[in-house]
Amino acid sequence: MKHPLKPHPAVINGLEPGPFHQRIAAANHQQSWVNWMGFASASVLDNVEFEYFAIRNQATLFDISPMCKYEIVGPDAERVIDRLVTRNVTKLKPGRVAYAIWCDEDGNIIDDGTVFRLATNRFRLCSQEPQLTWLDDIAYGFDVRITDVSRQIAALSLQGPTSFAVLQALGIKGVEVLKPFDVEEFSFKGIKAEISRTGFTGDLGYEIWTSPKSAFKLWDALVDAGRESGIRPIGYEAVEMARIEAGFLLPGKEFISARKVLRTDRVRNPFELGLGWLVDFDKPHFNGKRALQALATKPLRRKLVAIEIEHDKPANGALIYHRKKHEIGMVTSALWSPTCKRNIAFAWLDAPHGDPVTMARPGKSDLWVEIYLQRELVWQRQMARCEIVEKPFFTHPRRTQTPPARF
Amino acid sequence: MSAIFDAIIIGAGHNGLVAAAMLARKGRRVLVLESRNHVGGMLGDAQFRVASMPSPLNPKVAKALGIKLKSHPMQTIVAAGDGSLTHIRGAMVSGADAADAAAYARLHESLIAKARALSPMLTMTPPGLDRTGWRQWLTLCHTGMNLRRLGKSQLRELMRIALSNVHDLVLDEMPDGPLAGAMAMDATLGGAMGPRSPGTVLSLLYRMTHANAATGPDQAIRHMPDGGPQAMIDALCAVVTQSGGDIRTSAAVAKILVEDDQACGVALASGEEIRAHQVLSNAAPATTLIKLLGPGHLDAEFVRRCRNIASRGMVARLDFDLAATPELSDGSAMNQLQRLISTDGSTAIEQAFDTAKHGRLPDRPTLESCFDPGNQRLSVTAQFVPAMPDGGWSTGLRNQLGKTVLATLEPALPGLGKLVQACRIMTPGDIETGYHVPGGHWHHGEFRIDQALMLRPFDGAGQYRMPVRGLYLCGAGSHPGGDISGTPGFNAANAALSDGGK
Repeated sequence: MKHPLKPHPAVINGLEPGPFHQRIAAANHQQSWVNWMGFASASVLDNVEFEYFAIRNQATLFDISPMCKYEIVGPDAERVIDRLVTRNVTKLKPGRVAYAIWCDEDGNIIDDGTVFRLATNRFRLCSQEPQLTWLDDIAYGFDVRITDVSRQIAALSLQGPTSFAVLQALGIKGVEVLKPFDVEEFSFKGIKAEISRTGFTGDLGYEIWTSPKSAFKLWDALVDAGRESGIRPIGYEAVEMARIEAGFLLPGKEFISARKVLRTDRVRNPFELGLGWLVDFDKPHFNGKRALQALATKPLRRKLVAIEIEHDKPANGALIYHRKKHEIGMVTSALWSPTCKRNIAFAWLDAPHGDPVTMARPGKSDLWVEIYLQRELVWQRQMARCEIVEKPFFTHPRRTQTPPARF
Repeated sequence: MSAIFDAIIIGAGHNGLVAAAMLARKGRRVLVLESRNHVGGMLGDAQFRVASMPSPLNPKVAKALGIKLKSHPMQTIVAAGDGSLTHIRGAMVSGADAADAAAYARLHESLIAKARALSPMLTMTPPGLDRTGWRQWLTLCHTGMNLRRLGKSQLRELMRIALSNVHDLVLDEMPDGPLAGAMAMDATLGGAMGPRSPGTVLSLLYRMTHANAATGPDQAIRHMPDGGPQAMIDALCAVVTQSGGDIRTSAAVAKILVEDDQACGVALASGEEIRAHQVLSNAAPATTLIKLLGPGHLDAEFVRRCRNIASRGMVARLDFDLAATPELSDGSAMNQLQRLISTDGSTAIEQAFDTAKHGRLPDRPTLESCFDPGNQRLSVTAQFVPAMPDGGWSTGLRNQLGKTVLATLEPALPGLGKLVQACRIMTPGDIETGYHVPGGHWHHGEFRIDQALMLRPFDGAGQYRMPVRGLYLCGAGSHPGGDISGTPGFNAANAALSDGGK
């Protein structure tokens, strides 16, 4: 029987179609969508394993348009961004991108994101959560114009070993000299786009930023040029797997924005998250600086660590015990890593368990993860030994090699 | 440039002078910088004072500074619309119905007792939500014991009324009329709240703390020093200069200098830079923090809270130069120790507030007037007037305000209109520009429960010390608040002294 209802490409479950929606919908055999900032974002197009292995072996397309994007322009733009983030933005040259975090007045993390310095007085901030009112507060008294450009920019993440080959096949000149965290504007096939060598996978990859009008043109050009390189549109689930392997944190999973928490002890500071390296106390005042200076002198109450767990069962949401007895932490993101062949996770450990000095003492590293498994309607509990390991779980020399190889 | 001064005080208002005097008496080398051409701030302009009737300096402040200023309580005369007068001295009322007078006396005594119990808190750094020192605990315990000593029923009564409104409080005890109006006036004067606004009992209690050093008929929230308001300013200046401090007028500060997150001096509008270990600002909190310091030194949340201080002035000041001493409707000549309140009652004040709140000039504003025989000058405080009237403060509206005020005064002071030779008018906007107070509020910020104690002027700035080390707020925007008492300056100076800074 022919099904009378076909999913309307424009409205899926009350979600808004993004600039690439018709192309993604056409490729989305699962018709499985998730809500990403109100936009319909594909979670899986046909099979998460195919999509994941495409990230690691071919080239993949993922629509990152729903990301929140802000443009900060004006004579005080550098001062405003430097006031916002904990990193020293004055060291960021035009044409460069930096990963950054920003904190509230108590030194707790509000969000993380990428800062693009497009010109001396022009910045773009990409973040996971809306920041317009926060930026307005930060910029009060400064001569800048802040615009929410989230809907004015269509963006695709082109990731994977053959991603450079795809761009070359498009005939884009000069893209080979892009180093990691470079951004430059290019014109190709009648499309004007900024290409940055950035990504979320720990591997070679690019992000391409253009106007929504050019969205289909860009998509079609990439799909066409990438045919020989095995290009494949992918969904959120595969990206999430690569994200964990690459050791990146995700707001809403590893931590909650200090502006969203209801329970006051759920806020997290950069030192707890292991992001102390992003905090520069040598620069002038930035938001939360005084609180962070005070926090830096205090012992941590907890720490986010990377752990490796024995056996192969992913430990999503699992609790962690010391000597199988005392509950000392929990897992935030977990994955059986198909590339590393390791059972990996991020986990919060209460002090002093995340501290390397403590962990070196005999018996202290006797940590166990409690994993629940359902096998044919029967829940089973498995205690698996785990140990703290270095981040990232996965990285590859081709991530930084310039010019990149074609593969 | 070498550091010359231990402390710079921005603004020579009475709180700035108190702070400077406190520091100077402890051997600190202080410099007071005043942008206007006179000292004394809102109290000090001999041509046109914002505060024509000072309240007495807090006794603790006066004692610490060794100021022995003879001053006299001002008698309150309430004039109703029909020209009938009611006289109030402390709790004693004459010219009113005996039952109402007795009710007034009871309420007055009960409020004075509560104000007295609370008054130790005036001269303490408010307890912090996360930072409370042993000295603060001691004061809190002291206050707590005072409250216990009031007795169970009074304490329960305080809890009942503290956050309520003055209109209900007073009308529970007596019918609406001049007596009720006088109390409602004291509760709302200078602010942007009507008698029915919640929290006006708290502001009444605060104001009554000015009176609680005196007893019996001398209990008055307004005291006139011998020699007028100028005498108080002169006395404060004398303490500063005799202790080696400097005071410079017409020296507007343009910027607070910061080095390594530490206030290190100021830059004047003239470009001159003066260094100091500590900077105490008597300017309004937003002026100090946003204009002089700059948001770049502060966290965004802190700046947001500072921008959002409720600070809308709804008071106009009018000075009338008279040809002769005006006569009250009972035939007596008005003298300098009388405070004439023109109101029909609490409801009338609420109506004036409502009208002004909606941007219009009330037909019958509530007035507080006093006469200065030396200058043949009648000084009038008119509330409520709109801060931002529809169409702005045009000349026409100013003239209309002058006429309205004279018409309102006429029943109490018959023939006043013919005596007027000149009239000067100051709107909230004039206070805003003349004294650098956003909103033109007398007290640098509304006195409300959400802007009191550790929340005054706002959360995070409530303990005089600002996030930039060595910078302090010492003005009426800080705890305990406005009026002439010297307590914010006193407390800020104590904070600065305890931080060293030498």
